[in-house]
Amino acid sequence: MKRMYALLITFIALSLLLPLPCIAGGHLKIALTGNLNTLDPAKSKTGDEYMYMFLVFNGLTVIDRNMTVQPDLAYKWESSEDLKTWTFYLRQGVKFHHGREMTAEDVAFTINRIMDKATGSRARVNFLMVEKIDVVDKYTVRFNLSIPYASFPDIFGTRQVRIVPKDAADTLATKPIGTGPFVFKSFAPGDKVEMVRNPDYFEKGKPKLDAVTLLIMPESASRVTALETGEINVVWKLPMESVDRLKKNTDIIVDEVSTSSWDGIIMNSSKKPFDDVRVRKAIHLAIDKRQVAEIVLFGHGSPTHSPIPPAHPFFNKNLSFEADPEKAKQLMAEAGYPNGFEITLIAPDGRPVRERLAVATRELLKPLGIKVNIQKLPWDKFIADAEGKAAFYIDGFFSRPTVDTSIYPWYYSSGSWNKGLWHYRNAEVDAVLDAARRAASLEDQKKAYLKFQKLVVEDDPPSVIPYSVNHIDGYRKEVKNLHSCPMMWLDLRDVEIVK
Amino acid sequence: MLIYISKRLAYIFLILVAMSILIFAITQILPGNVAQMILGQFASEESIKLLEAKLGLNDPLPVQYWRWARGIFHGDLGHSLVMDRPIAAMLKQAFMRSAVLAFFSFFFVTVIGIGLGVIAAVRKNSPTDHIVSVFTYFGISVPEFFWGIVFIMLFASYLGWLPSGQYVEMTESFRGWLVHLILPVATLTLTLIAHVSRLTRSSMLEALQSQYVRAARAKGLPERVVLVRHALRNALLPTITILAIDVGWLFGGIVVVETVFSFPGLGRLLIFAIGRQDLPLIQACILVITALYSFSNLFADLLYTYFNPRVRYARKAE
Amino acid sequence: MRVKPSEKKEISNPKRMCRRIPVSLMIGGLLAVLIVLMALAAPWISPFPYDEFHVKDRIQPPNATYWFGTDEFGRDVLSRVLVGSRVSLFMGIVATAISLILGVPLGLLAGYHRGSVDEIIMRLTDILMSFPPVILGLLILAVTPPNIIKTAAAVGAVYVPVLVRLTRSVTLGLIEEEYILAAKARGERAIYIMAAEILPNAWPPIIVEASLRVTFAILLAAALSFLGLGAQPPSSDWGLMISQGRSYIDTGPWIALFPGLAMCITVIGVNLMGDGLRELLDPRMKHR
Repeated sequence: MKRMYALLITFIALSLLLPLPCIAGGHLKIALTGNLNTLDPAKSKTGDEYMYMFLVFNGLTVIDRNMTVQPDLAYKWESSEDLKTWTFYLRQGVKFHHGREMTAEDVAFTINRIMDKATGSRARVNFLMVEKIDVVDKYTVRFNLSIPYASFPDIFGTRQVRIVPKDAADTLATKPIGTGPFVFKSFAPGDKVEMVRNPDYFEKGKPKLDAVTLLIMPESASRVTALETGEINVVWKLPMESVDRLKKNTDIIVDEVSTSSWDGIIMNSSKKPFDDVRVRKAIHLAIDKRQVAEIVLFGHGSPTHSPIPPAHPFFNKNLSFEADPEKAKQLMAEAGYPNGFEITLIAPDGRPVRERLAVATRELLKPLGIKVNIQKLPWDKFIADAEGKAAFYIDGFFSRPTVDTSIYPWYYSSGSWNKGLWHYRNAEVDAVLDAARRAASLEDQKKAYLKFQKLVVEDDPPSVIPYSVNHIDGYRKEVKNLHSCPMMWLDLRDVEIVK
Repeated sequence: MLIYISKRLAYIFLILVAMSILIFAITQILPGNVAQMILGQFASEESIKLLEAKLGLNDPLPVQYWRWARGIFHGDLGHSLVMDRPIAAMLKQAFMRSAVLAFFSFFFVTVIGIGLGVIAAVRKNSPTDHIVSVFTYFGISVPEFFWGIVFIMLFASYLGWLPSGQYVEMTESFRGWLVHLILPVATLTLTLIAHVSRLTRSSMLEALQSQYVRAARAKGLPERVVLVRHALRNALLPTITILAIDVGWLFGGIVVVETVFSFPGLGRLLIFAIGRQDLPLIQACILVITALYSFSNLFADLLYTYFNPRVRYARKAE
Repeated sequence: MRVKPSEKKEISNPKRMCRRIPVSLMIGGLLAVLIVLMALAAPWISPFPYDEFHVKDRIQPPNATYWFGTDEFGRDVLSRVLVGSRVSLFMGIVATAISLILGVPLGLLAGYHRGSVDEIIMRLTDILMSFPPVILGLLILAVTPPNIIKTAAAVGAVYVPVLVRLTRSVTLGLIEEEYILAAKARGERAIYIMAAEILPNAWPPIIVEASLRVTFAILLAAALSFLGLGAQPPSSDWGLMISQGRSYIDTGPWIALFPGLAMCITVIGVNLMGDGLRELLDPRMKHR
């Protein structure tokens, strides 16, 4: 009997003395900001889901840290003279996680699936110009487009366009199978996603980590504390208010990069009072963009005029960020609102940066007599009910790989995002964007985009785009070879934990 | 006794049916097109109509209700709209974790709450009594979420002794599992301990002044026997009733505490569901929570009947 | 629970009453009155408007200019707490008023008529009481974009059953009294009897319960606001302030601390007042 007690006490003592689950060689723990609603790449809509997509899947191409397109599943591609026919050559011997080799059939299947309206993929609009997909042979696939499109390969690097196996597509939501560096192990909704190393990954020697766990921690303060105590190794999208404090912590590395991701105070031109360009101009002139960037981003971003970020060579430095309250009031009076008006501003729930933008907007429009009532909507309801339909709301978009893909769908009058966001129509803008697409040289392209920015800031602003956001990751110093990326996902192929 | 229990069970069943109708009715008022939410804003009219037909959203409401109710009897709690997976498995996992939290909390509330109440009553008007009094007064006046945040500020941020949230599986690390439970349990129990100890104190005081206690003392029985066997036994009756009501507070408190500590239990699942307006998930969570609540009330009632000789004998006389 | 004629006189005699006012009522009442006054005067006594930004002074600890410090937008926390008292008290009082307006008549009806009316009302309250309070609130608010009025209504709905039951049991106690039977014999209408005869004698325990309910209502409304289903930004409702202050626990703990403390003091004050009221209005009633 006594021995039993002794054993029991020893066991308890040992288990108490053992350290808390420590980061065993190569198990990376990353904190995400919100729950994943789907494990199916075609249907993903949130940044947290994109993070996971990149670990379990690959695309034909990938966009690296320098925002250039690199080969991924396709090692080579070429196009016809008229830029309407694109052929991709796939790597051989790439295995899906269930053992079968990836072929051109899977690629065709994936893209057709994305193009199918029933799937409801956000990437569908990127493939509208695809007329036909040919499976030339086992490792070659050809796309026939209806219009010439120079940056077609870039589209395959984007988030939803991950190649899935055609024989496991129905169970993607519960048992995702991809070709990526990590194999899906389990998903506890609201809690975590567990993945393990893919021993058959097509890039030899990668990945170096044994396992990755994505932990869902919506509380920004808990994420930061967990990073400081070492419970987790990486915080994706470090909350901006903690950045300055964490930079002083010698155990933690803060990696900040500027991106072309932007937020906007969206004014729907198909709804009153924003059908009047004077009202839109007035509101645009009431907002001091530098102040907004400071208030909302705690300085971790830069004021901008459009989705083209300040760091980009095409950025128009001659336009002003400052507010002009006198002119704004004048325009409001001309438009028939000398005393302002009352309006509801919708903001998506669970996105603190955009909520702060909403509160800042409310404050900054007061001098014009505009009374803003903020209404928060849950994210799914927001994109179903508010986007494209409400008159006044806050929205934001992640970086796109090229200038054209960042601008055209939004500003061209028949652009896909235009119809789903702000219903903006300006013939001059249309003309200048077409010219940019046809431009023969980089100089001509730059001229076109400079003119574009002038048009949408001074002449006819569709909405107010106050800033482009910096992306910040925080990680413990034991984590090596991790870099923040302007596309806002994490490339873990070379990462390892060195104590 | 058995007849009483079966009558109560039947009654609870009826109440659950009524509640399920209420839950179903209220959630159906949710504006916004469910099918559109799944397919996204770029979906076409036809695909929306197809999905609506597939999900049976065009059928009359009573039919939809019956389909849902029938599914529950087969253990099918529905299919989460937003996460595209069956609810039953998710819910079970979340429920297990909340159950751990609730179990520990209930244990401590009972032991510490009753203990404090008894001590305060026995040492009436002493400094101990006053300290307990002040503590309980604060306990019932302060909302759980505030306690939770204060605890995080103190123990996680400032002292760094305890984690500020999350959950570790018992299989992964026993110590981690325990450590991550400490703060949520402490937060949940504080308000309830205050409540229970106040009540125990006053009913103990009453019991101590009652006739049979005086008689027992007169008989010369040792104080401890008087306390436990006579006074406490009767003081426990109103305490049990309050414990039952507190279970209700526990359920409500769990939602808040799980949110503050990012604890992946039933409460946080419900908040997720509401945040995403995932109808089937909202319905399932609320149904499960309220069913549990009703059953725990029944259990408390039975305990009360068992401990209260008057009721028990009245029953026998029926 | 009949009020004897001699007791009636006592309550209307101020001098005698003063001697009987318990300490708890005085302290609690004083606190409660102070807080109400503060809430009413808030827009005038706040040093700054509650939503005014002072971006250069953001997240500052309490100092001479900002007694309670500033939040992430540079807004004065003291002003926000003062103005927030209006929202929290408003929700608590409106919710309690709703539960009184709905609950008391239903309880009177149930207690007076007995029979099938009683059964129906009791079953309905049973169903409502089968929901834990926060859950019922969540259910009602999950279906519609929340705001202060809706939250107050939801909280009121949650507490209707309690008021119904209480009023009913008090009514049951009074129904056999002589003056009720006399009124019935006189042929008075039921509504008259309920309103003019029963209600005036029933109000003491109802008032005591209502004062308790205000604190529960304030706490429940704050919990719902904390979960995002109550007041919306940039409102400075205390629950919402605490919820938003969570992100700044390490950099600015005062943002969440002060509204929490304010809530504690308010609830303690009203609780004390309720305790005192109970002692005053019915010393024979057993302590809960």
